[in-house]
This record gives sequence, C-alpha cells and structure tokens, in this order.
Amino acid sequence: MTSTSPISPTRAPSLTRALKSPLSGRLTFPLVCLGVWLLTIQAVTTIWPFAVDVLPTPWQVAGFMWDEITGNTLAPQNMYETFWISLQRLGAGMAIAMVVGGVIGLAMGLSKSVNAFFNDWIVAILAMPNLAWALFCSLAFGFGDTGPIVAVVLTGVPFVVINVREGVRNAPTDLYDMARAFGVPRERAIRHVLIPSLMPFLFAAGRYAFALGWKGLVVAEVFGGQDGAGWTIKFWYDAHRAYGVIGYALLFVIFALFFEKFLFDRLSRRFFRWRPSANATAEDPAPTDQQRTPQHG
Amino acid sequence: MSTAVAPTTSPPRRASQAELARKAQRRDRIKAWGWRLAGYLFFLSLWEFSSGRLMDETLLPGPTAVFATFGELWQSGKVPGAFATTLTRIGIGFLLAFVVGVLVGMLMQNRWLSGFFKDAVTIGVTTPGLIWALITAIIFGNREAGPLLAIVLTTFAVITVNVSEGIKSLPKDLIDMAKSFGVGVLKRNRHIVIPHLAPFIFTGVRFGFSIAWKVTVLTEVFSSSSGIGFEMRTATQLFRLPEFLTWILAFYILALFLEKVVLEAIERRFFGWRTTLKA
Repeated sequence: MTSTSPISPTRAPSLTRALKSPLSGRLTFPLVCLGVWLLTIQAVTTIWPFAVDVLPTPWQVAGFMWDEITGNTLAPQNMYETFWISLQRLGAGMAIAMVVGGVIGLAMGLSKSVNAFFNDWIVAILAMPNLAWALFCSLAFGFGDTGPIVAVVLTGVPFVVINVREGVRNAPTDLYDMARAFGVPRERAIRHVLIPSLMPFLFAAGRYAFALGWKGLVVAEVFGGQDGAGWTIKFWYDAHRAYGVIGYALLFVIFALFFEKFLFDRLSRRFFRWRPSANATAEDPAPTDQQRTPQHG
Repeated sequence: MSTAVAPTTSPPRRASQAELARKAQRRDRIKAWGWRLAGYLFFLSLWEFSSGRLMDETLLPGPTAVFATFGELWQSGKVPGAFATTLTRIGIGFLLAFVVGVLVGMLMQNRWLSGFFKDAVTIGVTTPGLIWALITAIIFGNREAGPLLAIVLTTFAVITVNVSEGIKSLPKDLIDMAKSFGVGVLKRNRHIVIPHLAPFIFTGVRFGFSIAWKVTVLTEVFSSSSGIGFEMRTATQLFRLPEFLTWILAFYILALFLEKVVLEAIERRFFGWRTTLKA
C-alpha cells in the first residue's frame, strides 16, 4: 500500500501527471512546430503577398514526401536509387578510411615517435571544414564518383585514427603480457586479447566515420556529384522548389536517425553480447574532445 | 628548480638518478619534437612534390604557390574586408545561438520542457549544416537573416547538450537547501546554477564555435555576396584553385587560432580561481 500511495489518491492527479510527463512534451513539440510554421506563412503572406512560393506549406511538403516515398518523382532518380548510390559511395569511402585510419592509428598508439609524426596533421584534417574538401575534390577530381569518395575518406580518417589510437592505448597490457608469459603464441594473443579489446573502439570509429562521412559526402555531392542524395537536394534547390528542399531535408533526417538508432544500436548490441558489463563502453567509449564535436559545415 | 637543493638534502646517488630520469625525459621530448618536425617536413614536401608531378599543378597547387597567392591577395586589399564580414557574421550568429542554446538548456530543467525540446536537440545535432544552409538560402535569399538563422539552428544544440549535461550534475542538495531556506528562483539560479554550469557552457562555446564558423562559410557560399565563402565560390567558379585554397587555408588558420588559443586562454583565465573543476 505504501509503495503505491503516490499513484493511488484519485484519477485526476494521474491525468495531470500524464500531461506533465516528458512524453506529452515530446508529442507537443511537432504540433507547436506545425503551428509556428502555419503562423509564419500566414504572417509572411499578409506582409508580402508575392512570397507565397518561397515558403511552402506543410501539406505541400507532405505531398512531396509522399510522392518521393512512393517513387513518383520529377528528379532523375527516385529516392531509393538516390540513397542507394550515396550509400555505396559512403561504404566505399568508409572502408578505405577504416583501413588507412586503422593502420595509422595502430602505429600511433604503439609508438610515440609515429604519434608525434602524425598528430598535428590529424588534428588539422579533423578541423578542416567539409566544404573545403568538397570544393577541392570537385575541382581536382571532376564530377563523378572519385570526388565524393575521397571527401568521405578525408572526413572519416581522423576519427578512425583517434579512436583506434585510444583503443590501443587502453589495451589490457597485463592480459597480453600474461598470455605471452604462459607461452601463447603472439598471433593468438593478438587475436584473442588485443583485437577483442579493440573492438568497441573500432565500432565507435565506424559509427563516427559513418555519421560524419555522411555529412561530408552530402556536401561533396552537392558540388561534385552527378547523382546521389546531395546532388538531388541541390537539384530541388536549383529548381527553386522550397518544398522539395525541405522535404528532402526531412528524408535526410529520417535516414540518419534510422541508421543511428536502429542499425548501429542493434549492431552494437549484437556485437558486444558476449561482454555483459561493457555495453556502456560499446555505446560510447571514452568520448574525447574531438569526438563530441559534431561536424557540420 | 630543485637542482640547487638536491645535492645538500638528498644523497648523491638519488640525485643522480633524478638527474638521469630528467635527462631521459628531455631526450624523449627532443625526440618527439624531432619526429614532429619530420612530420611537418614530410607532409609539406609531399604536398609540394605531388603538385605538378602526381597531379596537375592547376589542380593541386603546392604550399609555395598558395603562399605566393596569399601575398597577391593581401596586396589587392580584399583580405581584411572579407575576413571582417565573415567574422562579424559569425559573431552575431554565434551570440544568438549561444543565448538560444543556454536558454533552452536551462528550460530543460523542467521535465515537460525537456521532453518538448528533446527532439529539437536531436535534430539540431544530427542534421548537416548543408541542409540548413540550403533551406535558409531558398527562403531568405540574399538577406542577412538567412546565414544567421542557419548558424543558430546548427549551433544551439551543441550548447544545449552541454548545458543540460551540466544541469544533470547539478548539486541537488545545495539547491534543496536553498529552497528550504526560502531563496528565490532568480537568486538560486544566479548563485548556484550558473556558477556550476559555467565550465559546461565554456565547453559548449568551444565546440559551438568550431561548428559556427564552418556553417557560416558554407552559407556564404550559397547566399551571400561578400565574405570568405563568397570569395571561395568565385574562385572555384573561375577554376582558380590556388586562390580558393588560399582563402580557405587563411581563414582556417585564423579560426583555429581563435578556437585553440584565444578561447582557451579566456577559459583558463576565467577559471583561474578553481583548481579541480575544468569542464
């Protein structure tokens, strides 16, 4: 009885509690956004009647998104083809970035000299805006696949390097030493001790490289692509269809959320099922300064 | 500093050991610096070498070419004006973003409002700056409000995340005590909440700034007729890679300087009085 007393008194307080709960706030947010949007349109159209075209209504955007989802589009490729093309580029770029970054990160973690050799340049590449890579790649490699892929590699590599280096530094040296002392051959010790301890960091590296590589890819495609997600949003922009730009932007958000929340969370749970306690580290291993900085521009 | 004291206070053998350790440390540091310099030399010469040999010189101008172009641009007198325009935009936009970010973070103390703003923050953190740049460009066209809105939308979330992180670690007992002693809301915020949040806010500012300048340049590329981004766009459209690289590198160096040197110096100064809590 005592344990349920906070809930029991009457029905009315539980209703107000439901209204006050974070969930109701969360549900209110889209409604408020919609309201603000409609009010803005109302206000703008009364002040400047000619601005009707510029601010799309929510219905226009919803209609556009519905057309896109059903594959009925004015753009050269429908949304599924477009995102698939971009995903292929992202995958190729990420694979290269993982290999290159993994090797450099491993070397940097193992040797202080190598670390000193590369460190400043990694930081410099990390702080470079995506826009610079995108414009440079579009000019240097022309339109096509190479430019965007190089841009993904350049944005992804520093994150992989930093994560792998962190992982090597956190490797359980005592475990490794013990394995060696008990006569376990080096390859087996690396396979069973070092690599499992590196996994969470590699996974985090992949996740960051994915999120940031995606942003870099989109910018690169805007300037140096002939197809793909970035190119398509630029297509709507050039066509001066505001509802197309906003609708595509919403598709981007959905796409990113899908990968972040569903795919990576699932994967990480699956990957690290064998280590019951390390789930927390798998989700978010040692966020360093650079990692917590979401890169936009 | 202890070299003068060591011979008299400690036995000579330990002093020599400390000396040895210090020597080894110094050797390590010299070695690290040597490698660092080697890294600079290696990459700069790789860059210089590949321009003209591995890639066409017009496609990849080397560091010397970039340096020479910077001299030319400086002589033409375009540099300070463009820098000033962009920096003003960053300043105003970032100030707005800061106010919005801190306000939202503070409002998120309330449970309902924290639910309300949760998705806004997620969207703000995950959406690429490019999208905001395009949307604001198409809606506002050439007007000043476009870039400013884009900066606010991309940057506020980082500050909010840091502020709400700070709020999660607020000293609950102190606040409860203040409440039970009848201290008002304003005074409570002024004397407990804000001093506790300051380091978190500073972290947010540093991260936020690193995003803000990138987004500013990006929006200028799409919808502006002055500033670094505009100059970059002009250079790329005329296929002048040396000029483009010079603009972006010059501004990049300035932004890094502001981010790593100036902001950090301010932070150190600000928190000189507290020794343990440094964000």
